[in-house]
Amino acid sequence: MATQVALSPERPPIISVKGLAKSFGDQQIWDGLDLDVYRGEVVGIVGGSGQGKSVLLRVITGLVSPDAGTISVFGRDVRELNREEKIDMESRWGVLFQDGALFSSLTVLQNIQVPMREHLDLSQAIMDDLAYLKLAMVGLPPTAAHKYPSELSGGMRKRAGLARALSLDPEIVFLDEPTAGLDPIGAADFDQLIRKLQQTLGLTVYMVTHDLDSIFTVCDRVAVLADKKIVRTGPPAELQARPLHPWIEEYFCGVRARAALA
Amino acid sequence: MLKRDQGVMLPTSVAVPGYKVELRGTAFCLVATGSWTVREAMALDSGLRRLRVPIPPTPDFTGQVDISGIEQLDTAGAWLLQRTVRAWEKKGLRTNFAGATESFEILLDEVRLRGDGQRSEIGKLSLVESLSQGFANAITPITRDAVVIIGFLGHLISTLMRMVAQPWRFRPTSFIHHLDHAGLRAVPIISLICLLIGAVVMQQGIVQLKSYGAEAFAVNMVAILSLREVGVLLTAIMVAGRSGSAFTAEIGSMKMREEIDAMRTLGIDPMETLVAPRILALVVVLPLLAFLGAMMCLVGAGVMARVMLGMDTAAYLDALHNAVEMRHFIAGLIKAPFAALIIGLIGCLEGMKVSGSAESLGTHVTSAVVKAIFLVIILDALFAMFLSIIGV
Repeated sequence: MATQVALSPERPPIISVKGLAKSFGDQQIWDGLDLDVYRGEVVGIVGGSGQGKSVLLRVITGLVSPDAGTISVFGRDVRELNREEKIDMESRWGVLFQDGALFSSLTVLQNIQVPMREHLDLSQAIMDDLAYLKLAMVGLPPTAAHKYPSELSGGMRKRAGLARALSLDPEIVFLDEPTAGLDPIGAADFDQLIRKLQQTLGLTVYMVTHDLDSIFTVCDRVAVLADKKIVRTGPPAELQARPLHPWIEEYFCGVRARAALA
Repeated sequence: MLKRDQGVMLPTSVAVPGYKVELRGTAFCLVATGSWTVREAMALDSGLRRLRVPIPPTPDFTGQVDISGIEQLDTAGAWLLQRTVRAWEKKGLRTNFAGATESFEILLDEVRLRGDGQRSEIGKLSLVESLSQGFANAITPITRDAVVIIGFLGHLISTLMRMVAQPWRFRPTSFIHHLDHAGLRAVPIISLICLLIGAVVMQQGIVQLKSYGAEAFAVNMVAILSLREVGVLLTAIMVAGRSGSAFTAEIGSMKMREEIDAMRTLGIDPMETLVAPRILALVVVLPLLAFLGAMMCLVGAGVMARVMLGMDTAAYLDALHNAVEMRHFIAGLIKAPFAALIIGLIGCLEGMKVSGSAESLGTHVTSAVVKAIFLVIILDALFAMFLSIIGV
């Protein structure tokens, strides 16, 4: 399954980041960061605060430009695309921001339809049908369809944000701390949802997270950001068994990690 | 999007989507080929809608959807297939899929499971209903607002009374900060605007009065107008736009981040720490700014008088002296503290009304400025009537 796909070395990576460097002011956050993500796997990006986990997501999706290094997605360098190619690429990935980033002036249903409306020429009837389908797939009740984002709870906003990210059936989904701010039951449900959607839609999932439970339940592979680069990648169980780095040891073998595994 | 085999796909192998219906033994078979994705959904949808459901000649006929020719499938494609299957089954044709890979199967099952969910419809209103509702929605907040503003004023007065009794409750740092922000920093922009308006009014006055040969009286007109109306009104409008909106934004963003609630739980009265210093500072500063505004209007008018009438400074001051009386000056400035009270009250009140979202902050800032300017103009009109009745 997905894990085997991820581990076979001859497959070309779907996201490939090489030699990335970035500074904010005089504070350098990465220096020579390399990361490969393979088709069909769920990769968790972990790291301490201020290591630039969320910034890395923004760099890969082209929202922030790096100081040096190359980023290729689907085998193309994202920084060398022209306008049309860029739009085309953007419709092949979806991003779920931390609090959903739903457009506050649109209802949930309209939010889900935004990418369809912008990029495709579909009739309103199809868009409604597809949006209700996406709504059901992310586990939201149909009554949420005509609500505005401010009327939803945090967990529902995330689900709605995920539905919008999945609107065009992308190949890659970027999730920025999907379980942050959810109660443990809600977080576990969301983990299951990500797993299920990944299997159903054959997604590649790039997930920035702090949550040890999500890492062990969802991630095929974990990449650890520390010391200005990705210090290690590997299945969570392997990193836990052989941390080989003080931060990883503390993260995977600390009190909370033992509690998460208990 | 799911692909039939996970290998690299050449552009030529991504076939255009297609389907045809054929009879295989006793099974009607929908043979689907190519790429069934959301990009192709529009074309597929219109064709599939027109497709007639085959009528089985005998009951042992079945339906089949052969998807072994599909290269790419996503939720939209799966949904179209499932919709067709549902339509066939409704006509009594038992239908199954053939040629699905494992991953296609999972997707098709998921879509079948989720696709026929309930809809929630929004009730549509008729035109008359929506118009009358809009009217009601526009009117009711006005009366409610009036009550809330008066309540807020009462709250402010009781807070100020307590401050008089317990002077240590007054916050000098905050007060001086707002004197600086609402007052000193507004000086350049208010000076400039009043100067320009004074000049413009003078110029227009001269042009219009010239036809009567009475252009020298333009000085009288501008002098009285600036002192009684323009100085204070322009200043109040500027301050409403600058400081009223700033009050709403500052207090509103504190409200959004629950800072106001935190203050209350720490036993700090936001009325005392946030609202009172702002309104007091504005009440002190607005008359000063209005005075400055009126003077700058006169300066602008003087410049125009020199340019258009060749009046030198001494002559202009002389004309001013003859034109104005103290009562004109007082009639203008007396309005300033009241305008300040209105602007401050509305600004702080709207800030307090902000709820969780950034959107609500935006709406309340807008409504603070609009309401403050509106009420300042109403106040001005009431004062004009009152002062003319008592003969000032």
